[in-house]
Amino acid sequence: MIQSIMESPLYAIANPGSIAFFGASNNFSAMGTNILQSVQALGYSGRIYPVHPKEASVMGLSAYGDVADLPETPDLAFIVLPTDIVTRTLEACGRKGIHHAVIVSAGFNEVGGKGADLQKELMTVARRYNIRFTGPNCIGVVNPHWKLNATFLPYEARPGFIGIASQSGSFVTQMFNYLDRFGLGFSTGFSLGNEADIDLVDGLTYLGACPHTKVIALYVESIRRGRAFIEAARSVTPRKPVVAFYVGGSEAGKKACFSHTGALAGSDRLYDGIFRQSGIIRARSIEEMFDCCYALGASPPPRGNRIIIQTHSGGPGAAAADAGGRAGLVLQALGEETIQKLAPYVPHTGSIANPIDLTYTKNPLDYFHTIPDILLEDKEADALLVYFLASSGMVRRALEGLGVAKEEAGVEAEKIIAEQCKAVASLMEKHQKPLIGYSFLTRENPFIRGLQDLGVPVLGSPERAARAVGAMATYVQLREKIRESEKAAG
Amino acid sequence: MDPIQSALAQGQQSLSEYQSKELLRTYDIPVTREVLTEDVEAAIRAAREIGYPVALKACSPTLMHKSESGAIALNLKNEGDIRAAHDRISKALQSTRPAMLVQEMIFGQRELVIGLSRDPQFGPCVMLGLGGIMAEVLQDTVFRAAPFDLTEARDMVRELHSNAILGAFRGQQPADLDTLLRALIAVGRIGLEYEVINELDINPLIIDPAGRIVAVDALIVLGKDPIATGGKTA
Repeated sequence: MIQSIMESPLYAIANPGSIAFFGASNNFSAMGTNILQSVQALGYSGRIYPVHPKEASVMGLSAYGDVADLPETPDLAFIVLPTDIVTRTLEACGRKGIHHAVIVSAGFNEVGGKGADLQKELMTVARRYNIRFTGPNCIGVVNPHWKLNATFLPYEARPGFIGIASQSGSFVTQMFNYLDRFGLGFSTGFSLGNEADIDLVDGLTYLGACPHTKVIALYVESIRRGRAFIEAARSVTPRKPVVAFYVGGSEAGKKACFSHTGALAGSDRLYDGIFRQSGIIRARSIEEMFDCCYALGASPPPRGNRIIIQTHSGGPGAAAADAGGRAGLVLQALGEETIQKLAPYVPHTGSIANPIDLTYTKNPLDYFHTIPDILLEDKEADALLVYFLASSGMVRRALEGLGVAKEEAGVEAEKIIAEQCKAVASLMEKHQKPLIGYSFLTRENPFIRGLQDLGVPVLGSPERAARAVGAMATYVQLREKIRESEKAAG
Repeated sequence: MDPIQSALAQGQQSLSEYQSKELLRTYDIPVTREVLTEDVEAAIRAAREIGYPVALKACSPTLMHKSESGAIALNLKNEGDIRAAHDRISKALQSTRPAMLVQEMIFGQRELVIGLSRDPQFGPCVMLGLGGIMAEVLQDTVFRAAPFDLTEARDMVRELHSNAILGAFRGQQPADLDTLLRALIAVGRIGLEYEVINELDINPLIIDPAGRIVAVDALIVLGKDPIATGGKTA
């Protein structure tokens, strides 16, 4: 465990004050050029030193013929060069006194044969000059809080709270746009590539200490340092949730075995156990991984697994209840006090048997504030799921019906929506319990966008919301388990 | 002598049931009362000492699938049963004087499996599974990497889908959970302390109607080159 990200070899990689950049030119189709453009586009404020054998300037920056000629020793070398000159370049960086690198170049262990030899040579040089690096065969690093996007895709999201370490090449970059669709973003993301030096355990440890990271996503293909991984995770998960996505079994499963146990080992079930032992939530899909990250990062953790579902439509309520049951959640019957407080707001068509189906509320603020406020107050409820269906067109129509002029109605509707969003968001603050929204509407709807921008998680379907809340309850259970172990160990 | 050391000294690739249980016993895992016998008369004496009914099993480090090879006779109630069973097993194994284990009968409908395997990334891993004839169909298994503590062992049991059988089940007493948890931890310790053990299988671990848990059969398989990897490592 580390107390500060500054103790991590990844610190200089995610927060460099200056970068020596190898492999960018003025040729727009080159991968290196693309990455440099991404760095410039996000407004990186550190110093960039392109190193190029021929060009005097690269993308408007003064270029240097040799890393030895740089006016300072940069914090980071970023290498996007042909395979056969990577080791030589790293050595030159070492002589300059550079101690950190990102090696994007491929053609090493992943291709086998000669590539494996090349990776060994690379490691020898790195050790000789005390260079810590990610890659080779990785896609770079992103730290929007540092205005650093050293990957080949533009960073389209905002600086966020999800940290990610990924063993799948460009996966991190593909998620920029995906997260933006929920108003989310990465805190910091590492693509780890071949893990010749820095690996998943280092990534997890860094993100565990990273102050911008509230929740950690791991895209796992293989865990190389098994025991170290479990220990690193167990030191992070009592303080910060970790959600992993992993597909496949281990090599051990393919060996011939004599015993019953041997035949069952190495299966996917082994990884279920390892993740659980580590306090990590295992997601069954990429979508689910980010849903869980969203809920866990945006909300305080629930105290238990008892939920209330609020809806004004039967289907979405029943679907959430069903998925919740399968995710280990319990639909809590309302307390007597809650029932009494709720009575004036429930129409005769409504139902207060959880899911609370309000069918139709005359005053929208009842649905967005008064009712969830009462439900969150219930001491027996650990979390509230709310179905959101809000049409701005309806608000406008209502205003016009009340005699508001057409041109003013639009502005008024916006104001009302903003007010309703604020009302919902204030409840999260007040009750310190998870309030997870779900809707079939997306951010194109001003109400959904308003909620998400104020920090209220709104997920894409009842099932997704219920599974995310289920993961939250599991997280709390696993966290308690590890804390108990820590206490027993003294 | 440590049963692993003696197996290594004999050049064995695996331990007999008797040797395997000797090791389990030193780790406080409850095993059946049993006596290793050389001939039918000794078996009869042992059965009298243990008390009928008993089980009779051929016992050899090269015998890995006892029930398939007809090497097991269960619920023998008297001397006549033992003589007949002894004869039948000897014939099935085409051996004139196979060593046989006389063992107390443990009756219980609830069966578990505890195992140890080695994963290249995680090292020794302990498995807990539902046992019995449906085990391979249901595949209800849970794994943990060793070492782990009591809290983790408890969580392991919680993760087992069929863990309800450990409670008061069909008029039977709840299983002795504490002993089960300690057995899980102990199997992990065996894996850490004996690098030479490749696989370990307690199958079945029977829970009797009083909730007592007993390792009824056990198998320990050693590494490919046990001499090179050495014996006890810790």
